[in-house]
Amino acid sequence: MLVLKAFWQKNCPRCPQMKTVTEELKQDGYVVEYYDLSTVDGLAEGAYHSVMSAPTLLLVDEDDQELAEWRGVVPSPDEVKREWAMM
Amino acid sequence: MNALIKKDERLLHKVESFPIKGFLETSLLDWCGKLSAVLFLPGCNFRCPYCHNTELVLQPHKLPDVSMDYVLRRLRKFKGWIDGIVVTGGEPTLQPALPSFIRRIKKKNWLVKLDTNGSNIDMLKQLIDEQLLDCVALDIKAPLNEVDYYRATGRCFIIESIKECLELLKSSNIDYELRTTVCPGLIDKKKLKQLLPQIKGAKRLVLQNFRPSQTIDSRLQHLMPYPKEYMQELGQMSEGYVNELRVVE
Amino acid sequence: MSLESRMAKKTTHLKNDFQESTDLALFVRTSNEDMDGWNRQKIVAALVRETYLDVETAERISKEVEDVIMSSKIGVLTSPLIRELVDAKLIEYGLEKARKMHTRLGMPLYDVDQLILRPNRENANVPHGPEATNLTLAESIKKEYALLSVFSQEVGDAHMRGDIHLHDLGFCDRPYCSGQSLEYVKKFGLHLPNAASVAQPAKHAEVLLAHMVKFSATLQGHFAGAIGWDAVNLFFAPYLRGLSDREIHQLAQMMIFEFSQQAVARGGQAIFSDINLYWEIPKHFADVPAIGPGGKYTGLTYADYTEEAQKFVWSLFEVYLDGDASGRPFFFPKPLVHITEKFFQTPRHQEFLDFICKVASEKGNTYFVFDRGDTAKISQCCRLSFKLEASDLADASQPWKMRYTALQNVTVNLPRIGYLAKGDDTTLFSKLTDVMELAARAHLHKRVFIEKLLALGELGPLSILSMKHDGSSYLRLNKASYLMGMVGLNELVQIHCGEELHQSNKALKLGLRIISHMKIVSEKLSKKHHLKFVLEQTPAESTAYRFAKLDLRYHSPASGAVVKGDLSKGEVYYTNSTLLNVGAPINPIERVKTEGLFHPLITAGSISHIWLGEAKPPAESLANFVTKTFHQTQNDQVAFSPEFTSCNDCNKTSRGLKDNCSYCGSDNVDGITRITGYFTKTSIWNKGKKGELTDRHRNAELFTQKMNKVRNLKEVI
Repeated sequence: MLVLKAFWQKNCPRCPQMKTVTEELKQDGYVVEYYDLSTVDGLAEGAYHSVMSAPTLLLVDEDDQELAEWRGVVPSPDEVKREWAMM
Repeated sequence: MNALIKKDERLLHKVESFPIKGFLETSLLDWCGKLSAVLFLPGCNFRCPYCHNTELVLQPHKLPDVSMDYVLRRLRKFKGWIDGIVVTGGEPTLQPALPSFIRRIKKKNWLVKLDTNGSNIDMLKQLIDEQLLDCVALDIKAPLNEVDYYRATGRCFIIESIKECLELLKSSNIDYELRTTVCPGLIDKKKLKQLLPQIKGAKRLVLQNFRPSQTIDSRLQHLMPYPKEYMQELGQMSEGYVNELRVVE
Repeated sequence: MSLESRMAKKTTHLKNDFQESTDLALFVRTSNEDMDGWNRQKIVAALVRETYLDVETAERISKEVEDVIMSSKIGVLTSPLIRELVDAKLIEYGLEKARKMHTRLGMPLYDVDQLILRPNRENANVPHGPEATNLTLAESIKKEYALLSVFSQEVGDAHMRGDIHLHDLGFCDRPYCSGQSLEYVKKFGLHLPNAASVAQPAKHAEVLLAHMVKFSATLQGHFAGAIGWDAVNLFFAPYLRGLSDREIHQLAQMMIFEFSQQAVARGGQAIFSDINLYWEIPKHFADVPAIGPGGKYTGLTYADYTEEAQKFVWSLFEVYLDGDASGRPFFFPKPLVHITEKFFQTPRHQEFLDFICKVASEKGNTYFVFDRGDTAKISQCCRLSFKLEASDLADASQPWKMRYTALQNVTVNLPRIGYLAKGDDTTLFSKLTDVMELAARAHLHKRVFIEKLLALGELGPLSILSMKHDGSSYLRLNKASYLMGMVGLNELVQIHCGEELHQSNKALKLGLRIISHMKIVSEKLSKKHHLKFVLEQTPAESTAYRFAKLDLRYHSPASGAVVKGDLSKGEVYYTNSTLLNVGAPINPIERVKTEGLFHPLITAGSISHIWLGEAKPPAESLANFVTKTFHQTQNDQVAFSPEFTSCNDCNKTSRGLKDNCSYCGSDNVDGITRITGYFTKTSIWNKGKKGELTDRHRNAELFTQKMNKVRNLKEVI
C-alpha cells in the first residue's frame, strides 16, 4: 500500500500550500500522513527519511521505501497522482 | 513498478538452477575504483595450491545455494552505491549457462566484471562479442609454458587458451587486468622475469602477495609470505612491461 | 536527644575541662613536612575556619579527641589521623554537615602503592610513568573535590550510581575542550599572562609552528580534553610563499612529529590534538584578508594562497603515509579533512581524495568530515564538532575570534532507562526527560564554578583563558556549548523492543524517536536556562565499560542479556552513542547510511567507524565510497580503522593484530588500532574496550547469509 508522507513545521512559508495539495488528494481517496517536525514523532520520522527541511512530501511503499519525493518544493495534485499511478 | 519487478524476478527464478554459492554484498577490493557486489560460482578446473576457496572448488555441493531472488532484492537497496557485479569462482566459465546469467544481470543495468583463469577462450569470446562484460580479470598463474603452469595449477594443455584470452583482451576495447598471485615456491624474481615479456603491452598487472589462510594445499598454511620489500622489488621489475601496475602486499 | 544534652553528657567525664595541653610530649607530622608539638588549639582553629561550628563546640570536640589520643598509644601521630579522629567525633555528635565540610581528600596508602606500580587504564592516552602517576593522584583528589564541592549531592550520587557520567571530573577546574584559530597566534604572538617572556608574532613558518605547539601545550593545561586547530594548512599558507617543496615537506614533518611526540607534557600525555584541513579554500575564508609574517596583513586574501595551502596539506599526508620511524601510524595530531560542496568543484580534488584515501587505507589517519550545504564545522575532540552559525560566519572575517569551547560533557546511561521503563513508552520518555534535566543541572553547577574561577581574572587559576588581546576574554563563555552525550542507544532499544537497531525498522524508528526526544528536550532546556545544550556522540572510552559494569550490578539479570562483550572475562561494554552493534555483520554501505540517519539530530558531531582489520582496500574504491557517502547520506564523519602489529625487537610494523611479528617472529609486539577517536596500543586498553575489540566486525567476513565455512572466500574491504 502506498502512502504520502507530508512533513511540515510551524512558521514555514510554503507548508500551507503543501497542505492544500495534500488535502485535495486526501479527498480523492489518497492516503496522507502528516508529520510535524517540531514533535518527537515527526522529527524521528523525518530523520528516518533524511528530511532536512519543510515542506517535504514523500511517496513511500509498504516497506517505507521512497518512490517519489518533493523536498522543499510543492507539487501539483496532478503531479502526485501521476507518480502514484506509475508505481 | 512493483509489478514489473515481480515479473522480472519470476524470470530470474527460471535460472534458479544456476548455482550461486556465495554472495558478498559489498566489496571495495574486487573491482579497483568501484564498489561491487560479488557472486561466487562453484567448481574449478584448476587446483592451485594457494587457493583460498577450498570448499567452493572441492566440495561445492556442501555449500548452500544463494537464491538469485535474494541477491536482486538485496542489491535493489544499494542502487546508486554499488557500481557493478563481479562474477567469480571457482571458475565461472565452467557454467554453460553463464552467458544467459550475465545477460540477465546486464538487463538490470549493472556493470559486470568477470574473473577467469583463461581456460575457456570460446566462452570469453562469446561474452565479449555480445558486449556482456565491462571488465575482465585474467589470472596469469605462472610463466606461460606447460611445465610451470602444471606446477601452479595441476593442469596441462591450457596454455593456448590462456594466450588466446590474453590476445583477445589486448585487442578488445574493454577494461581488463592480469592478476598474478605471488606465492613463494611458484613465483619468484626468475619466474617473473620469464613471465613479463609474455604479457608485454598489457593494460594492467596486479601482483598480489600470497596469504597463508585456508589454502587448498594445507601445507601452505605455514608458508611465510614474501616481505613487503620483496613485493616492491617485483613491482619495480615489472615497470615498463605493462601500462599500469598494482602491488597488493 | 538534643545536641546540647548529648554534648553535656559527653563532657561530664572530662575531668579538667580547661587544662591546656601544651605540656604534652607529643609530636605531630604535619602536611608541611615538619614535626610540630601537640597543640589542641589547631583542631579548634580548623573547625572554626572550615565549618560553621562555634568556638565552644569546637573546644569540646578538640578535648575529646585529645582524650582519645592521650589514652591510646599512638606512635606516629599525623595530621590526617587527627583529622579522621575529629571527623569520627563529628559523626558521633550527628554533625554530618560539619563533617562533610571538614573532610579530608586523599588516597589510601595501598592505592597509591598500586598506582605507582601499575598503569592507568581509564585513558589509553596516558602512558605509565611518574608524571602519569602525578596526574592520576591529582585527578583523584579533584574528582572527590568536584563531587563534594562543585556538584550537588543529587548530581554526585547520580554519577556514582551510573545514571549519568560527568566526564573528566579530575579536571573539574577547567573547561572540557576547545577549538582555536592560528590567526590568534599569528596576530598576537605568544603573549601569555604570567609567562617569563613574551614573543612577537612569528616571522617564519618554523617559529609559527613553535608558537602553535607551545600554545597547544599551554591550552592542554587549561582544558580537560582535545585541542583543535582550524584550517591549519590555509592559515600557514602565507608563511609558505617562496618556500621550496622540500622545505614545505620538512615543515609538515616537523608539525606531525612535534605533536605526536609531545608525550612529555601534562601527565606524560600526548596533546590530544586535531588539525582541520581543507583542499579548497572554504567559502567563509576565501575573501578574508590574509595575515602573514610578523602578524601583518599581506594585502592578499586567503583565496590567493590556494597553491601554498594545497602543497602543505599534501605534504602533511605524505608524512602520515610514511608513518613514524618504525612505520607505525602517527597517533596525533588527528587530521580532519573537510569535504564540502566546493571540494568537488576544486581542481585536482579527485587526485587529492585518492591520496588521502590511500593514507586511510594504509595508515588509517584520515578523518573525512562532511560539511554539506552551508555548514562549516570545527571538529576537535574524538567526534565533537561545532556547526558554525550565522554569527560565527561573521566572525570568520576576523578569524582570530573563532575560538570555541564545550564547557563540560555529561553522558546519559540510556540502557538504564530501559531497565526502569519495563517496556512502557510513557515511563521511558519521562525518565529520559528527568535524567536530561539532571544533566542540565550538572552543567549549571559547572558553569557557576568555572565562572567563579574566571572572575578571578589574570590573577586566577584560569588566567590564560582570561587574557584579552582582542578585547574579549580568550575563552568566550557566551559561545560555550554544554554537551549531552549518550551511551548504549542500541541496548536501550534492545531492552525496550527486543531487537537491536540493525535488526528491524521498528527498532531503528524507536532509536530515532529516542534521539529526537533528546534533541527536543535539549532545545527546551536551552531556552529555559539560556545555555546552549547540544547532543553529542560521547566517545565513551571508559564510560561504555563503566555503565555496563554498574548495570550488571544494579540491574541483573536483565542486564546480563544485553550487555555486549565477554561476561566471563569481565570485558563488558555498551555500544557507543547511537552506533549500530560493532560486531554485527553489517554492510559498510548500510552502516554509514543507517548510522547517518542519526547524525542530523546530533548537533555537536558524530562519526561512523569502518573497521578494516587487515584489509587494505584500493584508494580509488575508498574514494568512491567516501564520495557516495557525502552525496547520498546525512553522515557527518567517517573514519576507516586498520589494525597493526608493531614489533619491539625488529622495529617493523605489519598489518593486522597478531601475536607474533610477521618479520622476525618475536612475540614482543604491540597491537595498534583506533580505540575511540585515536590510535593507541591495544595492550593498555581497558577491559570494556578489549571486549569491543574482539567483537568488532572487520568487514573481511562480510556475507549476508550465514556462510561461516566460506568466510575467507575473499575479503570485502
